[in-house]
Parts: sequence; structure tokens; C-alpha cells
Amino acid sequence: MKYFKHTLMICGMLLTFQACSDYVDLEASEVYQIDADSYFQSEANYQAALIGSYDPLQWLYLNTLIGDIASDNSFCGGESATDVIGLQQIDDMTHYPQNDNLTSIWRWCFEGVNRVNYMEENKNKIDFDGKAALYGEAYFLRSYYYFELVKFFGGVPLITDRRLDASDTGTLQRASKEEVYAQIEADLLNAIDVLPASQNQAGRVTKSAAQALLGKVYLYQDKFSEAASMLQNVIGLYSLVPDYGSQFLKSGENGPESVFEIQYSNESEWWDWGCPTCGEGNFGIIHNGPRAYSGPEFATGWSFNLPTPNLYNSFDEADSRRDASILDIEAWAAETGASYAEGYEHTGYYNRKYIPRAGESGAQTELNYLNNYRAIRYADVLLMAAEANARGGINEDLARNYLNQVRQRAFGNSDHNISTSGQALVQAIWNERNLELSMEGHRFFDLVRTGQAASVIDGFVTGKHELFPVPQLEVDISGLNQNPQY
Amino acid sequence: MNSKILTFTLFLLMSMLSVAQEVNITGTVLDADSDMPLPGVNVIIKNTTKGVATDFDGNFSLEGVPLSSTLVFSYVGFVTKEVQVINSNPITVQLMPDSQSLDEVVIVGYGQQKVTNVSGSISTVKSEALEQLKPVRVEEALQSQATGVNIVSTGSPGAAPAIAIRGIVSNAGSSPLVVIDGIQQSIADLNALNPSDVESMNVLKDAATAAIYGVKGGNGVILVTTKSGNKSGKTTFNFDSSYGIQEVTRTIDVLNASEYAAILNEASSNAGQGLVFDNIGNLGVGTNWQDEVLKDAPIQSHNVSAAGGSDNMTYFISGGYLGQDGVVGGGDKSYFDRITLAERLNIDLSDKFKVLVNNNYANIKGKALAENSITSVLSNALNFDPTLPVYDDNGNYSISDNITQEIVNPLALIDNTYNNNNTNKWFGKLELQYEPIEDLRISSRFSYTYVDVYNKSFSPLVFYGVGHTATNANPDLSPIVTVDPETGEETSTHNRVNESKTTYFTYTYELFGNYDFSINEAHNFQTVAGMSLQRYKGEGLSGSAQDIPFNSWEYADIASATGDLASQQTGSWSDVKRNISYFGRVNYDYKDRYLLSFTGRVDGSTVFGTDNKYGFFPSGSLGWVLSNEEFFDVNGIDFLKLRGSYGNVGNDNISNQFSSISTFPKYTFDGNIIAGSTLGTIPDETVSWESQIQMNAGLDIRLLDNSLSFTGDYYQKTTEDLLFAPVLPPSAGTVTSPPTNIGTSKTNGFDLSLTYNKTVSEDFSINTSLNVTTVNTEVTEVNNDSKRQDGAGYGIPFTVINRFEEGYSPWYFYGYKTDGIFQSQSEIDGHATQNGAQPGDIRFVDVNGDGVIDDLDRTEIGNPFPDFTLGWNLSINYKSFDFNVSTFASVGNDIYRAYERNSAFTNRSARTLDRWTGPGTSNSEPRVTFVDNNNNTRASDRYIEDGSYFRFKNIQLGYTLPKSLYDATGLNNVRIYAQVKNAFTFTKYSGYDPEVTAGSFVDTGIDRGAYPIPRIWMMGINVKF
Repeated sequence: MKYFKHTLMICGMLLTFQACSDYVDLEASEVYQIDADSYFQSEANYQAALIGSYDPLQWLYLNTLIGDIASDNSFCGGESATDVIGLQQIDDMTHYPQNDNLTSIWRWCFEGVNRVNYMEENKNKIDFDGKAALYGEAYFLRSYYYFELVKFFGGVPLITDRRLDASDTGTLQRASKEEVYAQIEADLLNAIDVLPASQNQAGRVTKSAAQALLGKVYLYQDKFSEAASMLQNVIGLYSLVPDYGSQFLKSGENGPESVFEIQYSNESEWWDWGCPTCGEGNFGIIHNGPRAYSGPEFATGWSFNLPTPNLYNSFDEADSRRDASILDIEAWAAETGASYAEGYEHTGYYNRKYIPRAGESGAQTELNYLNNYRAIRYADVLLMAAEANARGGINEDLARNYLNQVRQRAFGNSDHNISTSGQALVQAIWNERNLELSMEGHRFFDLVRTGQAASVIDGFVTGKHELFPVPQLEVDISGLNQNPQY
Repeated sequence: MNSKILTFTLFLLMSMLSVAQEVNITGTVLDADSDMPLPGVNVIIKNTTKGVATDFDGNFSLEGVPLSSTLVFSYVGFVTKEVQVINSNPITVQLMPDSQSLDEVVIVGYGQQKVTNVSGSISTVKSEALEQLKPVRVEEALQSQATGVNIVSTGSPGAAPAIAIRGIVSNAGSSPLVVIDGIQQSIADLNALNPSDVESMNVLKDAATAAIYGVKGGNGVILVTTKSGNKSGKTTFNFDSSYGIQEVTRTIDVLNASEYAAILNEASSNAGQGLVFDNIGNLGVGTNWQDEVLKDAPIQSHNVSAAGGSDNMTYFISGGYLGQDGVVGGGDKSYFDRITLAERLNIDLSDKFKVLVNNNYANIKGKALAENSITSVLSNALNFDPTLPVYDDNGNYSISDNITQEIVNPLALIDNTYNNNNTNKWFGKLELQYEPIEDLRISSRFSYTYVDVYNKSFSPLVFYGVGHTATNANPDLSPIVTVDPETGEETSTHNRVNESKTTYFTYTYELFGNYDFSINEAHNFQTVAGMSLQRYKGEGLSGSAQDIPFNSWEYADIASATGDLASQQTGSWSDVKRNISYFGRVNYDYKDRYLLSFTGRVDGSTVFGTDNKYGFFPSGSLGWVLSNEEFFDVNGIDFLKLRGSYGNVGNDNISNQFSSISTFPKYTFDGNIIAGSTLGTIPDETVSWESQIQMNAGLDIRLLDNSLSFTGDYYQKTTEDLLFAPVLPPSAGTVTSPPTNIGTSKTNGFDLSLTYNKTVSEDFSINTSLNVTTVNTEVTEVNNDSKRQDGAGYGIPFTVINRFEEGYSPWYFYGYKTDGIFQSQSEIDGHATQNGAQPGDIRFVDVNGDGVIDDLDRTEIGNPFPDFTLGWNLSINYKSFDFNVSTFASVGNDIYRAYERNSAFTNRSARTLDRWTGPGTSNSEPRVTFVDNNNNTRASDRYIEDGSYFRFKNIQLGYTLPKSLYDATGLNNVRIYAQVKNAFTFTKYSGYDPEVTAGSFVDTGIDRGAYPIPRIWMMGINVKF
């Protein structure tokens, strides 16, 4: 009414044009919205923005699925050959720049980057205790998102001081892969400086998480000595749980082996199929579920990401990880009387680590599984440290020690310890990575970085498939160069 | 001195003499058509304010009328007549009805204009048509009566039809602006207007007429003028009452119990499974669920009004009630009740000042059942198991053991549906008019619309069978409790109540001046200039809570819910929009021959980006009245006018532009969900109005003593110069720009209208008209990467079946094309690869010729919009009888049959009986099987039907009782009538009704169990006194 009276007087009486322009400007506060300029007035605003920056971690289910589907570990599966066509193409190495799933990964990782950059834009508005550590978490998150981007796409646009918006259309350039890695390292080093050794809320980033991620980043660049020494910081701070399979249950979440874990909950009652990742549930889980399943312990799902017989058979009979990693649905049905249907590319195997379990979802059940994603496990740290020590020629004893810690837990004894050295040791560590970490989204990227992909993955073209194509939409709008051979 | 006195005396004498030249005049005013006396006619001595009005019998008496002066007789609906006073003899004056008038005026934005001098394009519907059609909502009358207007209605009580003027040019909404007595409203507001209060509706169709409304005028404008009183000094009462019964005239052929059982057995054995029904011999026809849910339902309306006035004021007051029960499910759970009150007061404060006060109130109450979806009542009736009785042995609604998804016993669904809504609406204006000099009028108008909507719905605990997806309770309606085997945590189901309260408040202030003048009696100008300020504010507040005591609607309220606090939810929203506008118009004519009009409007809007706050919308039109030329002398042609217009109008159907913080992001720590924030939207400072360039060329001609008239228009609309919100690059993440319009289109078409109107004799007159409308729209640009926007869909899994796509007509149907049935394996082998196909399955067309049947073969399979529509109306008066027929035809519109659930155990269409059972048995209906590997039910042209229809919308016979019967009672006119609405519909469509909409054009033609338009048998009485 204030606006109305004011404008009425001036505009109505005098009919002057200029005086009336205020009338058609709208302040966000008039409709109880907070606009960007008036935010970041309190510590709570910064804390909230940090939560907002964690949020996109929960959307990265496709990154995990593709890590196995693109590799020799699993078939895409689903209902039919056209069910989620983008994933089917990636499974067959026939993917091309128009791929909704890859576009989502690009968009969601950049959303994570942008949310941290938005905090960076507003970093100097106020000061408060703990602000440095808060930004340490933020920098870890930015490095996590950029690491996913560089793993999938190589060099990407590198912006660290502000968020991208419409005005950036057509002005973006791809930075080199090296420049992106340099930024990731810088962010993680900054984070390690300020992050606490432990946090009082499970799920928050710790110093060790940043160190483990940095070690991994070094390893991806074959910087073995940096990797070995960085990972060494984490050795001994965590432990391997005795029962391998237990850590993938709800009761095993945020356990002693968990270095960094993406958190989910089944309590948000999310139901909107228009944005399946917008709730707090893990949308990846329903994909892995047995088709039309009816029976105990598990819940029905969409039969994607089906472990191959090869993967199943690569486990030693005595290896406790086989049955903890892979559900043999035929044997299970025979044992429990459960029923199920065969979907596309049915292998008889399901990913038991990230499978829908009865009663672990809420509201629209497909969207709300509570299963956390164990992004960095201590076993992974040990194997990375072993690899860095072995491949860098730093300390083979230490490498074998770390490798055998992992194997002893798996077999329950030391009968299966490895005693080789040289390239055989390296190969043993690589094999062990997949036995330990299969169906957790690491395989494809391990194969690529170790140069094994072409020999293992059907249809893999060297010089092309190491990277996924930049989404066509981004190429069209921003004029970015496409990756080779796409 | 003496001479001065003499002069003065002479002057006095002269004055007295001149006074002596005044006479007393008496007379009678009659309707020239019927010779009936006309009460309430204004009789005024020209160039004075002196006058009277005629009484009941059309008589008047006026004292002191100077000889040689002129009396002006004027009356609404009749041609004004001037008569010179030559002596004091009583005079009889006959007034010609207005429909034959050359001086008829039409209301246009901020003024009025002689119909003959209009050079733009306007369609008009008058109160007579409304009285005959008796619509629930006034805009329904535009169908068949007005050209250039596309209306698709639904039978749902009180529901709004989808309406567009000259095509669907935009994906951002096509609703025209509605202006009621100068009060700007939306089409939704017409739910609160009593049709019997309406005097006329004018549809402004082209830029020349709509541009005075600038950025609001892009979708056309409907100007509604309501009734007012007159200065007769007498009060005219009008009472109208009608009562009718609604019925659904068609049911859809589905399988009866025996057929259903046999087909299911066959489908099961075709899939290698055992029999579903062991014994089908004693099933009979079973339950026809359609008959169970379709009810004959009453509709009634009662209106009373009083109109009148005196020398310096007029008034009109009215009250109305309308009640309509639903034919689907009946009036307990589905109805529309409306009470309306209206008041119009025009007061002459002095010679120069006049005040107009309008106020309207409406109260609307209703309940609704699910419609137009696979879970609607009708869909359930069509798909539920016919072998089951309505009630089981225990007296509960029967339950299917086989159907475990979506489809339930439709009567149980009706029983379990609980909701109500209550809307209060006030709108009106306070207007001051000032006439400082003759022909200059300055108007200062404040108008308002306030709407307050309350909704409540209750989702009880329901049981439709163990494991049914809609079941959330145990058979005894206790909550279902589940336990997580790992953690032992219990979760339970709940009933839930939702309540919401929404208010909308719009007010507008307008200040404008009208000045009419002539130069040398030849150059005539009508001008208007002014400004307007408008503010809209909408606010909503909602809440929900669970655990209502006794699982009962009676207690369903947040106040009584016992669920814990954590389960209560609240929400709110608010929206503000402001416009500032300056406008002007000049109409010019030279001796009524050459017409010229120019209109311009500058609009500023809060929704535009800071770089484009103001838009300018100009238009111009030209007309040439050939018949007024001196050289024009064509026998039989009474009137001939050519006209053309060109201009620009706009559309600001977008949201406000600013960057806002979203508090939607959340993350979980320690298993607890924690709220976060980030930037949710970013503004696009260049966002501007959608602009339409519109061209119109028209012709008006009248022949045979004005009894035959024809109006034809051709138009083109091009939406162009649209400043899009850019599609953000994926690297910008999930942040959004506020939604804006992303499409452009081209539309053209013809509006043709032919009318014959003849008073043959005192006893017999006839009026008949034929209206034809064609619309042809092509989407020329969609500014996103896929070049299209997906529209509506149906089914489970949900399939989108229409699109707004570059190069196609808006919302065209999209899917597979079929080519008969595979008769043998060799036919399958010879066809493109079609996974899962077996003999008896549908052969889909390999549209792209790549040898594989897949998604890429989907193509255009239909268009929900007609090639043309046609309205034919006939009105005959013979002695005391009047007879009216109104018809409507829609030709070339397709319907997508989307009400079939197509799961294994749901019921099926009776055409299944003609299924393929072996080579040569059928080439249209596929085999039945529980395992449909060919996906025969995928969205395809198999579900497209021709929805063309021809409908007798209204047939009414009225009889005016002889006056002798009630002369003594003081009644003036008593008419009784009988009426059938939607008496016959001729169509090939197999569903309930070929007019299918869910209230918006994106859903038009998709029949998910759409509410059929009922046939209504109605009787009524109309009394004037």
C-alpha cells in the first residue's frame, strides 16, 4: 500500500514518467524472499551455506554406478535395452556427447563447485570463531567435486572466486587437467591446515579425510612419493572391521573403517519423482535392487548394475568378500523361498553392498533409502598407500604389509598373504583393489589410471574412452572444446 | 425613462408570450416490432435536462414543452428517436429495436464506439443469448455464439472451461484478460459472476481493439458489461427460476462378467499360466460399475433483480443462487453451489459530477471427486472387476484379490473421498466522473477484487485389499505397523488432513479522460488518454496434520489431529506484481465514411528485468464504409465496410526477476537432517514482455433491408521479438532463472459470421446465425536444447503424449504408428526388428526406416484441436411462443483414449471381444496375454480417435402467458419455458463425450476418464413486475 499511495500521488497528479519507475521495481523482501545481496549476515548463514555445499554430494549416485557399469565389473541391466539409455550406452562404450546421465554428473558437480564459490564470494562479509575450519570443509567439498569432474571429463572450466551464472554464457574456457589438479591440491592443502582431527557430527569432513583424498589425488597423477607420505598420515588412525560385510549394513555406517562417508537419511519423506535426488535418500540404491523381488531381508528394485559372472568368479572360494559383495539371487531364492524376476542382462548376481534392504526407506520408498555411500574406506587408504609405495619404489615391505592387512581381514587368516615383489606386487595390489572395492564405483577409474582399461573393457578405445565426452549442451552454449574422438 | 419602462414592459410581455408558446405533451411509446408499450423510456427535451420516463403502459406526460423544440426518446436496446413538437396533440412514438440500429454502440476499452465505425475485430454476445443458454459460467455462452473463440468445457460442476481467443500462441498460458464494467479480472474470476446479471460480452480479438490493454491484451480481452437501471422512476423486478435434471447419456462398452472371465482365462493361458476363473458359466453379466457411479443429478438456479432509478440516479440490485450436483458420484461428494449478490448505483451528484458504485459478492462452495486421471471415479468404474458385487457378504464394499494397483472399487473410492472448498469473493469499483465541459469526461476509478479460498481435504486410513498400493490400513482400518528387522524401529501408517487458505487481492486505480469533438460536422474525433496503476498480491498458508480421531471426516481438522508435532507440516507463499501504464487512443471518421484509429499503451511491470522495464504497444486500424459514399448505389446492399488493423500487444505471464536464497538444500549429519541454503534463482535483467504482431482484415456487409448481415475476418498473429531467458549452461549447476516464456508461434485463421434477422409480421420474427472459426497455429521456435517442451501424459508408467515443438502445431499427440496385427511369424521376420513380437501382436511402423522399432520411431499421431468449429443458432418468435436452438460443431479434433488401465486383471473395452485368436481373425485388436512382451499398450495411434462432433447445445421453448391471466395481480410479464441442454451429440468417438479437457489446453483431448457433459432437462419461469 505504501508504494501504491506514493506512486499514485506522483504519477496520478503529475503524470511524470520518471518518478513512477520505482513502482515497478520489486524487492525480494516484499514476497518474503531473501535476495543474494542481503544474505551472509550471521554465522548461521555461513553454516547453512556450508550445508548447502554438502548437499550435492548426495546427488552423485550416477558417479558410483558408472564406476562399475563402465568397467568389466557389471552390466547395466534394467528392464530392457533402452531402460536408462545413457547408462546402457556407457556400459557398451557407445556413449556420445548427448547423454542425460553424463550431463547430470557435469551439472551436479558444478553445482557443488558453485555453492562453495558462492561462499567464497561472500567470505569477507563478517568474522566469527571457527570460520577458517568452516571454509576448510568447504574447500574439501570443492576439491571433491572438481576431482569427480576431472576423473570423468579431464580439464574443465576452473572458477574459484564466484559462482557461474547466465552472464558467463559463451565466455568459459576449459582449464588443463594439470591446472584442475593443481587447484584440487591447493584446496586440500588449505583444508588440511585448518580442519580438526575429529568432528562431533558423523559425516563432517575431518583432516584425515582431506589427507586421504589428497593421497588419492596424488596417486591419480602418479605422484607416488607425495601420495605415500600423505596417506601415511592416515595409517593407524582407522581400523579394518573384522566382519567385512557388516560395514555395509546400517549398523556399520560411520564405523571405524570409514574415512569419508556421504550421508543419507530415510526421514525426509521425499516423494517428488520430478527430482529424485532432491530428498535425503540415496537414489542409487533402488537401481541395484533385485527385480520384482519378494522375500526376506531385501526389497524390490530395478535390477541395474548387475555384477558379471567374471567378477563373481574372480573371488577365491575362501574370500569372505565374495558373498558380502555379491548376492547370488538364485541361491538366495532357493534358500529362503524368495521370488524375483529376470530383467535385461540378468546374471543372477546383485550388488549386495548397496542393495535396497527391507524397511530402510520411507515415504516414496524408491527415493528414500538411507544407505550411506562409503566414499573413502580405510581399506582403500591401505591399498592406495601400498600401491604408492610399490609403484614409487619407496618401500615394498610396507606395501606388502598394507596389502596383506586387507587380505587377512578378508580371509580371516594369513594363509593368503602375498609375498611377491616388483610388477607382480603391483598387479597383486591392483587385483586386490577390485576384490576389496568392487561395486563401490572405483573400478573404471582405476583401470583407466593404471592403463589396464583397453585390455579389460570390451569396446574401450584407447585415446578416447579414458574420458567421457563434455555434455553437448555445454559445448553448444559455452563453446568448449570436445574431448578427443567424440 | 418612459421608453425604458415601455421596453421593459414589452420585454415582459414578449417573455410571457413565449411562455404561452409552451404546450403540454402526452403520448405513448411502443416497440416498433411488437407494438407493445415500452415502460421506462427516457423522454427529454433536446439540449435541456428536462424530461420524464414512460410508465408501465408506455405513457408519458411532459408539461411546458416549447413548440418547435425536439423530444428525444431513448431506451436501452432501442434506436434513439427525435420528434419535433408541432402542437399539443398526443403523439405515438415507435422505437426500433437496437439490433437493426445503425447507431448501436459497442463497449470498447475505456470508452464506447458506434458499431458501424469500428475498424477492429470484435465479437459480441448479448443477454438474450445468455437467457436462452442459461450457462453456469458466463463464458460458456461464447461457444457457438462468438467467432474466433476456442472453448473446451467439462461437465464437472462449476469447472472452468479452457478458453483461448484466436489460437494457442504461447506455452505460457492462453487465457484472455477479463474486464467486468472496467474492473480488470482473470478468466478464473468468471466463476463468481451471475450470468443473468450480464448485459453483454464483447470479445476484443485483434490488436486494434486489445492494444489499449497493452501487455495484458496479448491473449485477447473479454469485456463484460452488466445490467444497470434506468431513470424511469419505476422499479422493474425480474424473477427467474429454473430446475433441471442432469444425466449422462452414454456409457462405454466394457466386458461384462462372463466376457471378462473368459478373456482373462484366455490371456492367462496365452501366457502359459493357469485359469483365473475355473467356472465362468454362472457369472452372468455381473456388476456394471458405470451404472453404479453415474447418477441423475439436479441443477437449479434462482435469480431475482430490481432495476430502476429517478431523475438523478439509477440502480440495479440482484441476488442469485445456483446449485449443480455432479452426475459422477452424485451430490453428496460432488457439487457446486454459488450465491451471488450484485449492486450497481449511478448517481448524478450535480450537472458535472457523477459517481458509479459497483459491488459484487459471491460465495462458492463445493466438493469434488477425483476426475480425469487413472485413479478417477470413472476410470475405476471402467477398469474394475465386473464379476464382483458392489458389497461383499459382510456388507462392506467388495475387494478384488487380483487387482492390486491403482484401480479400486469405485464406490469405495467415492466413500473414502473427503474434501470441501469455500470461496468468498468481492469485486467492484468506485468511479467518479467529471464533465467540466460538454463532451469532455474525466473518470477517476478505483476497482478491486478480493478472493479468499479455503480448502480442506482428508485422506483416511483405507483398505482396498491386502497389498493393494492404495491400501494404508488393515482390514479393520487400524494403521499398518512395520518393523525394520535390523534396527527394530517401528513405522506406522496414518490418516491425514490438509487445510489451506489463500487470498488474492488486486486493486487498480485508473485516471482517464474522454473527449469527443467534431470539426465542421464532418471530421469526428473520439479521444481518450489516461494512466493506470495496478497491484496484485497473492498469499497462501497451508497446514497438514495426521492421526484424526475415529478416522472420521467429522473430526477432520488440524485442531483435532493427535499426531506428533514432527508430523505436522506448514507452508506459505506470497506473490506480488505491479503494473504502471499510460494509454491513449484517437478514433477519427470523416462523415462516417473513412475510419482511422490509433492506440498506444506504455506498460511497466515488476516482472520485467531492470534493463527492460517498459514496453510500448501501438496499433492502428483503417476502415472504409463504402455504403456511405455518395457514389455508392448498389441495390440491395444497405451497408458495406472494409477494415484492416495492425498492431502489437503483449504478455507478461512470467515471474518476478530477482536473485533469491533457497533454503531447500539439506544434508544429513549423525542421521539428522539439517537445513542449509544456497542461491536458488538468478535474475535475468534482460527479460521482457512477449510481443505479438497481429494483423486483421475484415468485411461487414448488410443486405435485404438490413435483415441479412455477414462479417468476415482473416487474421495473422506472429509472436516475435521475444527476449528469452537464456538456457543456462550445465556448468551453472541447478540454479534457475525465473521461468519465462520460451516459445514463439505463428497463427492464422478466419472468423466468419452470417446472420439473418427478420420481423416478418407482428406475430412472427426469426433470427438465425451461422458462425465459423478456423485456427491454424504452428510453433516456430522453442528456445531450449530439445526444441520442444513436453506436455501432458497418462498411464502407468507415465507416458508423455503431447509436445510443444518447433515445426508442429501446439500440443500435438506423439507416439508410435501402428500397422495392423502380425498374422504369422514370417510377417514378424519380414518386418523391422520389433523385440518381443509374436503372432497376434501389433505391428508398429518403422517410421525412421532404420530397421528397428524403438523410441526414435515415435512421431506425430494426432492433433487435439479442431480444423474448424461451427455454431448455428436459431431463434423464432411466433405470437406468444419463442423457440431457440443453439448448436455447435467441432471438426477435425483428435482424442487420445487414456482411460484404459491395461493391466492384467483390470477390465477391458468390449472391442477386446474382436481380438486376434489365430491367423486372419483380426487385424485391429491384438491377442490377449498376461505377458505382453510386445508392449501392445504403448502410446500409439491405436488410442487416437476422431473427436469431431456436432452437438445440439440448447433447445428451448418458451411461452408468454396471456396478460389477461395475471393483469389483476400487478405482474407485467410471465413466461414459462422448457429446455434441453446438450440434447443430442453426434460423434464417432467411443468415450462418454468428445469435449475433453482438464481446464487447460495442454490436457485437451486426453481422455483419462474426463467428466462427461451431461444432458440437462430443465423447466423454468420468468416473471417481470
